[in-house]
Amino acid sequence: MDPLDRRLLGELEGGLPFVPEPFDDIGNRLGISGEEVIERLRRLLTEGVIRKFKARINQRLIGISANALVAWKVPDTGDGDAGSLLASYPGVTHCYERTRVPGKWEYSLYTVHHGYTREEVLDEVRGISEKTGIRDYIVLFSIKEFKRVPNVRIGENGRGTP
Amino acid sequence: MNGDARLDRIDLMLLDTLQDDIPLVPRPWAALGTRLGVPEQEVLERLGRMRNLGIVRAISPILDSHHLGLTATTLIALPVPIERISDVAAIISGYPEVSHNFQRDNTFAIWFTLTAENEERLGEVLSKILKRTGIPERDILNLSTVRQFKIDVRFSHILNGRLEEGYGSP
Repeated sequence: MDPLDRRLLGELEGGLPFVPEPFDDIGNRLGISGEEVIERLRRLLTEGVIRKFKARINQRLIGISANALVAWKVPDTGDGDAGSLLASYPGVTHCYERTRVPGKWEYSLYTVHHGYTREEVLDEVRGISEKTGIRDYIVLFSIKEFKRVPNVRIGENGRGTP
Repeated sequence: MNGDARLDRIDLMLLDTLQDDIPLVPRPWAALGTRLGVPEQEVLERLGRMRNLGIVRAISPILDSHHLGLTATTLIALPVPIERISDVAAIISGYPEVSHNFQRDNTFAIWFTLTAENEERLGEVLSKILKRTGIPERDILNLSTVRQFKIDVRFSHILNGRLEEGYGSP
């Protein structure tokens, strides 16, 4: 990544403009051609700097208002297999392994689920529990969203040297 | 509740398509339009309308934290009495290292994610938050990320479900 890549990603943080040739528009702001913008973005995708180039949508506004974080308890030798298995379900948008807090919080695998209603989400989670045989879990529905932004924001926190 | 009357079937198909990488070609909206059988101008109008409604936040690159030098991440849960939730949440949201900050229905009422250059910096931010909110460290859950199995926010299966049910059809 060079400094121009970083400026390019910064320019794109607000979103690709809704004009017929948006990469030309971005290129004009940086003094490069639209073709160079596209070349750089392709490279950044190949290198893995950009994970996805897609729409961020406010799912609540299209009625997807139920959101649950589910914490699963599995034997500590089984984290890898169980994690891959949980991640394989299409309804799971995120799946992480996290450290346990011994004696206080023994859950180690976390999945995130979305749906139009809580019942829909609970059905999905119950189904996954039955299919995987992981019986011990806790469903944490979100009640209020105070902040939701991408975890990397070039202008704000992405200045560290790669 | 189920769906939004302001969106029609083509809007939902467009949202579904936009869950994948957009085409990196000089005229990406025209390319999307071709895929959906809609003229470029109509794609732009629909995108503009959905942005004005707040449904489309932005179409932008989602960056990998490690490549940008942010290597430490954790999820923190805090036991917060109901009457203090707004105040505590406001303090937490003020930190740029915090990306997600939710109230959840548990005695651990506030759950937030922290991302920083390294563990040391992460610890500093957490200490500051705990100090300012007056919550003792022994009461919290600090759930460091060990492994990521999946990080792909997609609502396609949900949108597809709606489309299969005939939602938005005339």
